[in-house]
Amino acid sequence: MTPATPLWEFVDITKAYPGVLANDKVCIRLMPGSIHGLLGENGCGKSTMIKTLSGVQQPDSGQILHHGKPVTISDPQAARELGVATVFQEFSIVPTLSVGENIFLGNMPRSRFGVIDWAKVHNEAARVLAEMDVDVSPEAITGSLSVGEQQLVEIAKAVAMDARMIILDEPTAALGEDEIERLHQLLRNMRERGTAILYVSHRLDEVERIVDEVTILRNGCVVRASGETNINVSEIVSAMVGEDIGEHYPKEQNATKDIVLEAAGLATNSGVKDVSFSLHRGEVLGLGGVLGSGRTEIARALFGTDELTGGQITLNGKPVRFRREIDAIRAGLALVPENRKFDGLFFNFRASGNVTAASLGGLSRFGVLNLKAEEQATHDLIRDLEISTQAEEKTVNFLSGGNQQKIVIARWLFSASDILILDEPTQGIDIGAKIAVYKLINRLTRAGKSIILISSDHDELLAMSDRIAVVQHGTIVRTVDASDLTHDDLVRASADTPQSKPKEAFA
Amino acid sequence: MKRIFDTQLIGPFAAMVIVALIVALTTERFLNPGNLSNLSLQVSIVALIAIGSTIVIFAAGIDLSSGSMVALLTMILAQMLKFVGIPLVLALPLILFMGGLLGLFIGLITAYGRIPSFITTLAALIAFRGLALTFNNGSPIFSLDPALEPIFYGKLFGVPMPFFYLVFFYVLAAFTMNFTKLGREIYAVGGNPAAAVLTGINVRKVQTTTFVIAGFMTAVGAILMSARLNSGSPNYGQTLELQAIAAAVVGGASLAGGRGNILATLMGAMTIVIVQNGLNLNAAPSSVQNIVLGLIILLAVGIDMWRAEISGLMGRMFGRTSSQQSSNVKKEA
Repeated sequence: MTPATPLWEFVDITKAYPGVLANDKVCIRLMPGSIHGLLGENGCGKSTMIKTLSGVQQPDSGQILHHGKPVTISDPQAARELGVATVFQEFSIVPTLSVGENIFLGNMPRSRFGVIDWAKVHNEAARVLAEMDVDVSPEAITGSLSVGEQQLVEIAKAVAMDARMIILDEPTAALGEDEIERLHQLLRNMRERGTAILYVSHRLDEVERIVDEVTILRNGCVVRASGETNINVSEIVSAMVGEDIGEHYPKEQNATKDIVLEAAGLATNSGVKDVSFSLHRGEVLGLGGVLGSGRTEIARALFGTDELTGGQITLNGKPVRFRREIDAIRAGLALVPENRKFDGLFFNFRASGNVTAASLGGLSRFGVLNLKAEEQATHDLIRDLEISTQAEEKTVNFLSGGNQQKIVIARWLFSASDILILDEPTQGIDIGAKIAVYKLINRLTRAGKSIILISSDHDELLAMSDRIAVVQHGTIVRTVDASDLTHDDLVRASADTPQSKPKEAFA
Repeated sequence: MKRIFDTQLIGPFAAMVIVALIVALTTERFLNPGNLSNLSLQVSIVALIAIGSTIVIFAAGIDLSSGSMVALLTMILAQMLKFVGIPLVLALPLILFMGGLLGLFIGLITAYGRIPSFITTLAALIAFRGLALTFNNGSPIFSLDPALEPIFYGKLFGVPMPFFYLVFFYVLAAFTMNFTKLGREIYAVGGNPAAAVLTGINVRKVQTTTFVIAGFMTAVGAILMSARLNSGSPNYGQTLELQAIAAAVVGGASLAGGRGNILATLMGAMTIVIVQNGLNLNAAPSSVQNIVLGLIILLAVGIDMWRAEISGLMGRMFGRTSSQQSSNVKKEA
């Protein structure tokens, strides 16, 4: 399957930033028709490597060979001309433009008079999408598509420019199970056609499924490069972390019989309908379901963000009504939102401002903040949760994703909330930080707090939840003990089963 | 204290000192006590209004209305003093109240009407100037009250009164921004409004409050303007809103919101006024003054934006190379 000459060879690539050696003599060989996994924890030098490969920055030293000939990738344009396409973690599509326009952005087909040839834009885009087996109209406004579809449009850009090498940085971070499968099928098709694919991901189960070869980085160096097709997850993990990490999911059973929160027949205009469940003290209730099934909307309904059009929330036996978020916060609820960058963190604040943001009322007297108490509490939480001590002095945009996520959770530790809704709490953070979040969940439940966990990582959801409520089309279709479910059960239960479709038609 | 006098002040302070040195070198008259006292008079009105403009900017808004609001409020004050016969001690608090009220009005439309503040205050900029013209058939009103002038020209212990207003309001503003719940909420709303909502901060109320503060500070500026000229005029305060915003920007406030130091705005205002003063002393025409002011704004924001590149350049110029860079040099050689 693999021809003898590599398409690209990166030899002894070294790149230093002030104070850090981000890449130290990294070598990667990419074969045509092969999917190459680039793995490692946050801060291991993956992003630096991607930037070098895509021409965003220049290496300090090292050699780049294309078809065996030395080349320099002076800028992203040069990378494009050499057939390298990069799909960055943060999408580079313009949401207000059509799919066709996005696919040909910066490279619009022109007619004779220099005018954009719209017929060609749409026909070509339609051809590319059909080739990829993606059922999206080239005329659709990209922002109106699901995140998964937007991701596919992003890849369509690479296909349209006939890239011989595609770099995918965390392509599945925002995708649901069926969308991931679609993406993987697409990648396999591209592999058949001889494209070299560099696949960067934190989701190791996926890596195992799709990758032909791996390169694992740690502290800027290659710790493992393998041409073997069968490398298992635990080997990868120990190579990445550099030690045996022990139990991946350190679940504790802390659930009790007392019911702290009960939802009956909740409905909102954002698509939540007839949601009923109960949450016990010390319990982790997992919400499973595909992307867009309404899990985040249920969280918003509980937190007072979306107005309830029906139903009743009962807290410790008393009926409550949250008109705004502050009502829910005062009642002891907390929400760690899905996208910490978008609506979780204040990047203009250091850790302290982020930690106390939801408790400013309690921290102040007559409107004057107790800054000493703030610094002390932040200091303690940073030590306690093993957050980088840089967070005390620097604004949080300088921190890694794992540290950032811990700070968002620390906010709700500081506010002494009793019920925490964690929406995708481990998305885009490395394994070490994930385990830290799991331990934090244990600590919270041990202290009698209750957790509603939303996660698209099925293994995580199964392992960390006591019970799992399966969400479909904005409602909970059934609730079962996590121990009674297997990974496959959950995938099947979350997916739109044929039996449920006729019911939908009547609804 | 460490928090107020943080590194954000170093740049604007250095800029102010450098500008003052240059001006002092070009004209001897700059350091005359008379000129320095005149300087504090000149800077006072724009610097006081800039407190409000800056706080609005901290919450990721913009206030274009202050110049026109000054004209409107001086006309209302003149009308009250000259034609209605309201005594000064009553008229002044009324003006301050009206300033806050106009700000509240703008704030409510902006925050609850979900109209960008650029638009609401642009509308106010135009409408307030029009409103000011409806008084006294659009003519200025002179000789308002002999007791008005000392508010601006009076001295305490030989120091001009505006100096004390500046100290009072800047201390109050710095305290509010750095030590109070309101200040923190303003920075939070400017930094990330979506996150502020989810932490239970009443974003709309905070945004509205910033405009009330801006309206109030504009009223303070309007009173000083009237006192300075003992008159009211629909033509006062032209481009004052832009000078106030310029002071904030030169002081390093980010127009994206959430970042900046209120005391740096005072330095920004001083820098601008010192440059104007220097050009005045050198008999430069007002056209040149405007061109220079434009360049200063560009330079101030530019320096902020290109900070990384500039420090890299400085490093190379003064031989502060890291080991990595020197090894590169070796390879190239």
